[in-house]
Amino acid sequence: MDRETVWVEVKKNIAEVLPSVNVDEIKPGDRLVELGANSVDRVEIITLTLEGLNLHVRAHELAGVENIGGLVELLHQKALE
Amino acid sequence: MNRALITGVGITSAIGQGKERFARALFGGEHAFAYMEREGRRKGSLTFVGAEIRELANATRIGERVRRRTSFCGLVALATVEEAWNDAGLDAVAPERIGLIVGGSNLQQREVVNATEAYASHPVHVSPYYSISLWDTDLCGLCTEAFPVRGMTYSLGGASASGQLAVMQAARAVESGELDACIALGALTDLSYLEFQALRNIGAMGTDRYADDPSLACRPFDRMRDGFIYGESCGAVVVEGSESAGMRRARSYGSIRGYATATAGNRNPNPDEQCEIAVIRRALKASGLSPAEVDYVSPHGSGSVIGDTTELNAVVACELSHAFINSTKSLTGHGLASAGAVEVIATLLQMEAGRLHPSRNLTSPEMPSLNWVGEGAINQRVRNALCLSYGFGGINTALCVQHEGL
Repeated sequence: MDRETVWVEVKKNIAEVLPSVNVDEIKPGDRLVELGANSVDRVEIITLTLEGLNLHVRAHELAGVENIGGLVELLHQKALE
Repeated sequence: MNRALITGVGITSAIGQGKERFARALFGGEHAFAYMEREGRRKGSLTFVGAEIRELANATRIGERVRRRTSFCGLVALATVEEAWNDAGLDAVAPERIGLIVGGSNLQQREVVNATEAYASHPVHVSPYYSISLWDTDLCGLCTEAFPVRGMTYSLGGASASGQLAVMQAARAVESGELDACIALGALTDLSYLEFQALRNIGAMGTDRYADDPSLACRPFDRMRDGFIYGESCGAVVVEGSESAGMRRARSYGSIRGYATATAGNRNPNPDEQCEIAVIRRALKASGLSPAEVDYVSPHGSGSVIGDTTELNAVVACELSHAFINSTKSLTGHGLASAGAVEVIATLLQMEAGRLHPSRNLTSPEMPSLNWVGEGAINQRVRNALCLSYGFGGINTALCVQHEGL
């Protein structure tokens, strides 16, 4: 699975959970909270993405993720394991 | 003493959304019974007759983002509360003086079954929102996020008596002065094929006797009945203290004269005539009404073979044979938790119109000597009405409503 596949899946689920966000303008340095996601929305976006990519990440592994680019990087690494 | 008035109503049912449409459907004797189609209500060849809401007009106060993560039960609650809120003009009441009681428990079993089936093989991916929506209090959170209710909110369980219990608790809250206004919500009970089959197996829900013509299946008090038929519904009643309503000159549908509960002391669903007699007598006493002053009885009448007969025996024993009686459930189906609130609303709308709605499929009534409103609505003014609700757990409730305009 390449990094782009992860990006596409993350953006698809951001659009699903936050309909008012224009996902084409999202940059790796953006944070979900800045896009208007509350705490449950953030977990929802991540859970939907994990389901879509058939991955599993433990909650503590997400603790260090700073932004959307970091999330994509973590999930991409998981996919390679 | 601060009397409990009803200053707003909201209704969503399979026979119509909004009080005007609902009243038209009641007086026209409409129904929406068919084989149920909603996801999680069928399993292979297993199907059930019931009444489903075909199109829901969502509350205007919520956006797409909230809609997406809200269950059907929640969306119906929001739309119904919005109607009641606007009907009562609650924007004029201080938020900290308004409460919301959600009547019903285990409201979203269909969501539970759907989530279990969808995530059985990969539970790690279950939506975090499921951890919120699984609680009945999700409706408290949803509705108080959308409407400025800051007094108190909680959910209250009484099985099929939940809706009426919520109205009673709301009345207590405004009579005591704890709140100026309290919304009592009879919440939509969203069940799956699993609960329907269990209710059929215990003998409470109707069988497939009328499989060839689902429109005949729901027939409370008719001799050919064989159990309740489910119908999706949700009712919101704004109960307001007479001081608050008087100060702001709110219009009132009627007052809650009195109410009572009685406990059968029985885990099983079989009815208890003595308990039903006791609850009616207590409610009349609390209302300061003699049986002769009751013009109309809105019965529980689920369509249960034993339950309906027992209820009529209790009505007769309480000297209420003269009162008019009909079956709202014959039109709406049995909304379970919502039923008590929906039937209080149906009673108020009938009082307001000076008409009583017909009962469907009442071809051969039990106790034909009673004052049945059978086929076709009748013009009849009602001053005092008695509403009855009975729920699993041996929970019996009765509530007297008085029309203010007569």
